[in-house]
Amino acid sequence: MTQAAPGTAPHLLLDRLEKRFGTTLAVQALSLSVGRGELLGLLGPSGCGKTTTLRMIGGLMPASGGRIVVAGRDVTALPPHRRDMGIVFQNYALFPHMTVAQNLSFGLEMRKVPAAERAARVQKALEMVRLGAFAARRPRELSGGQQQRVALARALVIEPSILLLDEPLSNLDANLREEMRNEIRDIQQRLGITAVFVTHDQAEALAICDRIAVMRGGVLEQLGTPYEIYERPASEFVAGFVGRANRMAAVREASGAVQLGPLRLQGSGEAAPGPVTVMIRPHRIALCDAVPEGEGWNGATGRVARSTFIGDLLSLEVEIGGASLLVEQHTFAGRAMPRPGEAATLRWRAEDTLVFPRSAAA
Amino acid sequence: MIRSGPGRLFFTVLVALLFLFLLGPVLLVFPLSFAADSVITWPPSGFSVKWYLALLGQPDLALALRNSLVLAAIVTGLALVVALPAAVAIGRGQFAGRDALMTLISMPLLLPTIVLGLALLILFVGQGLIGSWTGLVLAHLLVTVPYALRVLVTALGTLPASVEEAASSLGAPALSVFFRITLPLMAPGLIAAAAIVFLVSFDEVVITLFIVGPKLTTLPVALFHYVESRTDPLVAAVSVLMVLFSLGLVAVLERAVGLRRAVGGKGG
Repeated sequence: MTQAAPGTAPHLLLDRLEKRFGTTLAVQALSLSVGRGELLGLLGPSGCGKTTTLRMIGGLMPASGGRIVVAGRDVTALPPHRRDMGIVFQNYALFPHMTVAQNLSFGLEMRKVPAAERAARVQKALEMVRLGAFAARRPRELSGGQQQRVALARALVIEPSILLLDEPLSNLDANLREEMRNEIRDIQQRLGITAVFVTHDQAEALAICDRIAVMRGGVLEQLGTPYEIYERPASEFVAGFVGRANRMAAVREASGAVQLGPLRLQGSGEAAPGPVTVMIRPHRIALCDAVPEGEGWNGATGRVARSTFIGDLLSLEVEIGGASLLVEQHTFAGRAMPRPGEAATLRWRAEDTLVFPRSAAA
Repeated sequence: MIRSGPGRLFFTVLVALLFLFLLGPVLLVFPLSFAADSVITWPPSGFSVKWYLALLGQPDLALALRNSLVLAAIVTGLALVVALPAAVAIGRGQFAGRDALMTLISMPLLLPTIVLGLALLILFVGQGLIGSWTGLVLAHLLVTVPYALRVLVTALGTLPASVEEAASSLGAPALSVFFRITLPLMAPGLIAAAAIVFLVSFDEVVITLFIVGPKLTTLPVALFHYVESRTDPLVAAVSVLMVLFSLGLVAVLERAVGLRRAVGGKGG
């Protein structure tokens, strides 16, 4: 789990990083590495330790244990001003008493960059975020999205060795969020800068990260590409947090088959025989004419309890032998709309039937 | 909120009466100061500016005024020098006993000033500090630093820590962060703290009474002694000037930074 993404040299390494607040462990033995030019997402619900981890990387909070290594150099004990990291804060944290240009220039002044070069680099950075004409404005005269772009430019103009982003999109409205998300990704790719992106929004993480570290209760639950996280979740928690899933209690037999009420299913996953949780994503279940026979497929018949047309999606609730399955289908003209009370036949793949050991809290 | 009808009228009258009750005595000194009488009487038998002119012939009061202004200026400077680092430590530091320290420094505000005055008298007599500038400055610092600290901690509290963290991550060492970011952003709080400290010191009478000596006195104490022996409207004239001076200072403050914002109110 500590290997960098294939084909990239590790640039940032966290080695058994730990943070204690009194007796609680906010981050526990966190080990992972980020490749050069990689965008790593730290994803999890609030209180999972993702922001604490980011703050430790940036030096804003001392680590209680473990090491932080950047390009082979141990920076664990360095104060933030000597770490060479650009940080974009959730509330932007622009300097309100300075103009946009002065905000950008600040980091360069601290680095003793000559005035002429400063001006040129500030202008270039502002043009990169399409704010070339706003140099003389004060932060409060800008919109939220513009402030966000100033914060990004300010963090990047110093050409930091790592870019840290702490929930940078959470204060923007939904339309702008998607636009900014893509802009951040474009700029990160263009500059080839190593970046760590903290978010609680799984869609955001899936959309722009090279790899995602899913955290929960201070512990790394899974580290993988968006595809791996979504298709091969390592735990019931990851499967439930990333994307949506039907979640049902079942029993795994010694043969590997899973007994869900009267249904006998083929499932994927390493869970040992005994009580298990079965998870199936709603859009992986399809309506069909007959229960499929044979290897690789599961099927069931049931009764439609609720049918909702949401334009691009048809959302059904189907009762099958005591359990209730949420089923989502893409719509197309001419598709039959099952009505409540009608019988429905469903099928889904064995590999979409995720089986996890039953956990007490998930 | 009551918007109309007799309720609203009642409310307006009530507020007007309250203001009259609070400000009445202050308003009264204005006509009194222009009285032509030689003792304070109400209503005045006639009006003149003679008591304002008489002020010019009062070298003792002029000296006391000078002392009060110099004292308030010194106290203002020192109170800020003491309170600013304390405010940064309390507002930004992470150490055990932070709240206890804040309470301890605020304590002089909670004690009866007469008790403080007595305590200082007992303490200062042995040190030869009675009637000395050092004694006066120390006594005034004791009652003004808590105000300065409160205002500055509030000012820091409204300043998000992430702004300082951003500066730090951009390569600024602690001192640069303080002087380039924290201090400029605290300017409204500093101005407010300075004005409040100046006014409190300029106005302080209870504790000062215990500390002053025959050779060194302040304007409020000199006035206090003046009315012990005389009852002419001269004190009303001085009072008017002091009220106008205080109002002027508050007005400047309100224009500069918004007083309510500076002392941590919701408005402004």
